[in-house]
Amino acid sequence: MQTASKAIAYVFALGFAPLAGASVHDQIFKGRFDIPTDQPASVNAAARFLTQATFGPTQADIAYLMAQGYGEWIDEQLSKPATIGEPTIEAIVNAGAKVTNTIRLNRFFWQAVYAPDQLRQRMAYALSQIFVVSDQASGIGNNYMVPLSQYQDMLAESAFLPYAQVLLNATWHPMMGRYLNAFHNVKATIVGGVQTTSPDENYAREVMQLFSIGLIERNKDFSPVLQGGQPVPTYDQNVITQTAKVFTGFTWSDAPTNPPGFYGGGLTFAGEYDPMACWGTELFPASSNQMRHDITVKAVLGGAMIAANQTCAQDVTDELAIIATHPNVAPFIARQLIQRFVESNPSPAYIQRMATVFDKPGNDLGDVIKAILTDPEAMNPPPPCGSANCDGYGKLREPVLRLTELWRAFNAQAPAPDPYGQIAMIGNGGFLGNFGQAPLESPTVFNFYLPDYQQPGTFADNGLYSPELQITNESTTYTTADTYYGFTAKAYQGMPTPPTDRPLIDLSALAANAANPAAIVATVNADLFYGSMSAATQSALTTMLASQIAVTNMTPQEEAWSAIYVAMLSPEFAAQR
Amino acid sequence: MSHSRHSRREFLRNLGCVACGGTAAALLPQLRMLGTALASTSVSSAYQALVCVYLYGGNDAWNMLVPFDNTRYNTYASSRSGVYDATNNPGGLGLALPTGSQVALQKIVDGNDPSSATNQYFLHPAMPEMTQLFNQGRLAFVVNTGSLVKPITMADYNTSSANYPAQLFSHADQTNQWQQAYAEQGITLGWGGQCGDVLKSGNPNAQLSPCISIAGANRYEVGVGTIPYQLSSGGLTNLSGMCNTPPCSASTNARDTALQTLLGETYANDFAGGYAQIFQRGRNLFNLLDTNLAGTTLNTMFPSGNSLAAQLQTVAKMIKLSMAQNYATRQIYYVNLGSFDLHSGMMSGTNDHAALLTSLSQALNAFWTCMGPGDVNAQNNVTLFTMSEFARTLQSNGSGSDHGWGTVQMALGGAVKGGKLYSNGGGPITGFPDQALNAPNNFPRGQMIPGIGVEQYAATLAQWMGVTSPSDLATIFPNLANFGMTHLGFV
Repeated sequence: MQTASKAIAYVFALGFAPLAGASVHDQIFKGRFDIPTDQPASVNAAARFLTQATFGPTQADIAYLMAQGYGEWIDEQLSKPATIGEPTIEAIVNAGAKVTNTIRLNRFFWQAVYAPDQLRQRMAYALSQIFVVSDQASGIGNNYMVPLSQYQDMLAESAFLPYAQVLLNATWHPMMGRYLNAFHNVKATIVGGVQTTSPDENYAREVMQLFSIGLIERNKDFSPVLQGGQPVPTYDQNVITQTAKVFTGFTWSDAPTNPPGFYGGGLTFAGEYDPMACWGTELFPASSNQMRHDITVKAVLGGAMIAANQTCAQDVTDELAIIATHPNVAPFIARQLIQRFVESNPSPAYIQRMATVFDKPGNDLGDVIKAILTDPEAMNPPPPCGSANCDGYGKLREPVLRLTELWRAFNAQAPAPDPYGQIAMIGNGGFLGNFGQAPLESPTVFNFYLPDYQQPGTFADNGLYSPELQITNESTTYTTADTYYGFTAKAYQGMPTPPTDRPLIDLSALAANAANPAAIVATVNADLFYGSMSAATQSALTTMLASQIAVTNMTPQEEAWSAIYVAMLSPEFAAQR
Repeated sequence: MSHSRHSRREFLRNLGCVACGGTAAALLPQLRMLGTALASTSVSSAYQALVCVYLYGGNDAWNMLVPFDNTRYNTYASSRSGVYDATNNPGGLGLALPTGSQVALQKIVDGNDPSSATNQYFLHPAMPEMTQLFNQGRLAFVVNTGSLVKPITMADYNTSSANYPAQLFSHADQTNQWQQAYAEQGITLGWGGQCGDVLKSGNPNAQLSPCISIAGANRYEVGVGTIPYQLSSGGLTNLSGMCNTPPCSASTNARDTALQTLLGETYANDFAGGYAQIFQRGRNLFNLLDTNLAGTTLNTMFPSGNSLAAQLQTVAKMIKLSMAQNYATRQIYYVNLGSFDLHSGMMSGTNDHAALLTSLSQALNAFWTCMGPGDVNAQNNVTLFTMSEFARTLQSNGSGSDHGWGTVQMALGGAVKGGKLYSNGGGPITGFPDQALNAPNNFPRGQMIPGIGVEQYAATLAQWMGVTSPSDLATIFPNLANFGMTHLGFV
């Protein structure tokens, strides 16, 4: 549950009026039993849309979407409150469970599979791949698992706010502070009139390079602005050094000020996740050595000046407003959101349409994601073409999403809570190594894959991008498959001695058709492939099942999980188009 | 949807024109002379391997190799905001390594510099193994090397942005520029992969790529026709539910056949096709390597809890196996060690710079031992070297250091002319840099303009591997001709 006090804390820290759901999602004229004008053309079309918009289609969601139509479904999702994890995780820890990120990941996947605010959760996951923080940093690790889980909640609560407010929320969050070193960053040291240290430049650089504008000036369709045939850098090292001064003076919200203890605080979980305090002139006079914020004038992005002697909060507000209003932000962020939901290589026109929505006054990220999902380029894949590699549409499904799609398609039943109240989801875990990705576990601030990664061969040769293929290799295809095996063949309802550390999928619908391979394949096609399975793939699976039927002592369950498991390894399932 | 398709050939032709229009054509005669000078070098059929150890995040190399003499040490200490004081400033306000008996043990003398006033250094106390290997003549340092388009001074830097690479100080871009050995944006080829293009025709087994990564996707090993084989440091694992080692049950065979059919299909969609290609390659190489790799054992103990050591152990096994099975005469390996981006916690904590350098030194030492006569017996056949996108600001930010430019790299092997520092690239900036902040060729926080271009460092290693023809060198290193020296002599 969203707690009021936490929401208020954000709003205060940001100096923004709360704009939750700034768009009006008004449905009063729509009768419940009317056939919506934008009803999906088919059950398969609905399932395809839900593959883009959620952690995977379920039969119930398909039926609901068919009844509501796209617009109403999206609007309802935009208005659903955030399902959050931190209070549950805090309770599990307080009950005495060992503090590791397994607790956080179990909760993440439980929400991904069962939370009703699917679009919000999916958006938060996408944002976590842009505003990256990670437990792989030694400054976070297992020690700050609880506030790290609250970072994910913050993203869920922020998911449909205006971009500028998400940027503020992320910047002030102590996990971001610790990850990119704004936390405990202090103004320059002056000894005898000589400056001996300078503020840490890490956040100043990455907030611009990765979270907002990127390295070169962009047109609204993301094409580079060229001068004399050359791209134009958005900033130089001087801007970084100057901007670094903005992000100084931060510490825990509960660091004591009387007597002052800048390096104290973080005494409670709330102290570890509430927006950071900044020890600027709002707390101490400029003459005090407790005043840790750099109050000198700052020449920042685009030649803008931030005046001297302001409070820290004012400096941060000014700086982030300068960044957020840069024309790069809309195409830079919109492109990455399209990549996470729809396709790796959006057309310039698609990016431009989304950037236009992004930049429209009063619009928020809810408007942007609605536009992304309902754009013709998202809804209408190009017709099939005949030859090898004639089609660059779509994306590789993330390994994490392939797993949640399995669970949602086959009604996975989570185990009962353990004595601490934890519901186990991830089995043996190890997703980061096996998949090359796991929520909030990126190896670096550059996410698991770059938006501009080009797999050697077809993609690089044709100037196409393939982010998720950066974590797909001869080793991870194997370890990803092994992981799926553990969640199919080794985790289904009704099996003898089922595991208790992961959900169990329901094979009954498939097993009931054990004598009818074509029926099994048809179900898998509808549930995992939104009916897009090619004749060749259907044939390979049907042949496999026919061979298995002939085997003595073959169980219907083995047929069923074989169909799902091999289908999950198939190239057509790996691709989302 | 219309995705315009340009062929790679066209792409390369365009690229070539950029290079030709700029510099390469004008200086081709010089490259040709280089070729003559090296004409005696012939590609031998004896096994050779390059092992790249990438230090991700920007190794603070100025705390890895430090001047020992008082004058230069004092400059160093002052620029690093003072000597680290664990008691009063555990966060690391001052970043300079303290002197003392521990440091005296790490003292080294640069065999390339006869002057005792300037030839004394010490290595970080976390690296005693490297001190020993340097003193045995097996390890060399290449000093103040970094991404450049041509040799420059501060005056050139201030004159025009065309005189230096784009996106200095950015991790991703500088990593690319190191892995390309070419400071150009929009490229997807690495210098290791392009060496593989040239060298792989001599490899008896065409199925196994000449480029092998134990650290995932990387640009360094991508060539025009070369794609790295990516292996995990744990070696190969079975594919669950499939037939890994026949004979298998009929049910398992049915799954295996189905998967094989699916991976062998032709796919219209690039993503389906790209995935199928990788998975298929993985299955083929599993079949080639699995039994043999499992049967390949090493005598050397590698340190545990050290991810780099685990990767290098797999490299050592692959080298041993490749030599024994005659898979290849030339191989190019890639491993990495991360977490060098120590904006904070540089001097203290469980993952500080000392901890990283300990891992590095112990892993490299184990690998060197493993290559020795008592084990793989290939010390003269294998050259290991480091890359890292940049060194860091000398000046502290209060608890660590920020992104810099010119850095120090290491080369280790029996073929390395070790015990020396290599700091002369034939350009206007030579020698170990003056570490005073704002000295002539560094920036206010002690970010050094490099004296040696990445391509000079890389081309030296490429030539040792047998990539010696001027046209190959000009193709792989388009800006090499801009530099006075195309071979630094350290290997």
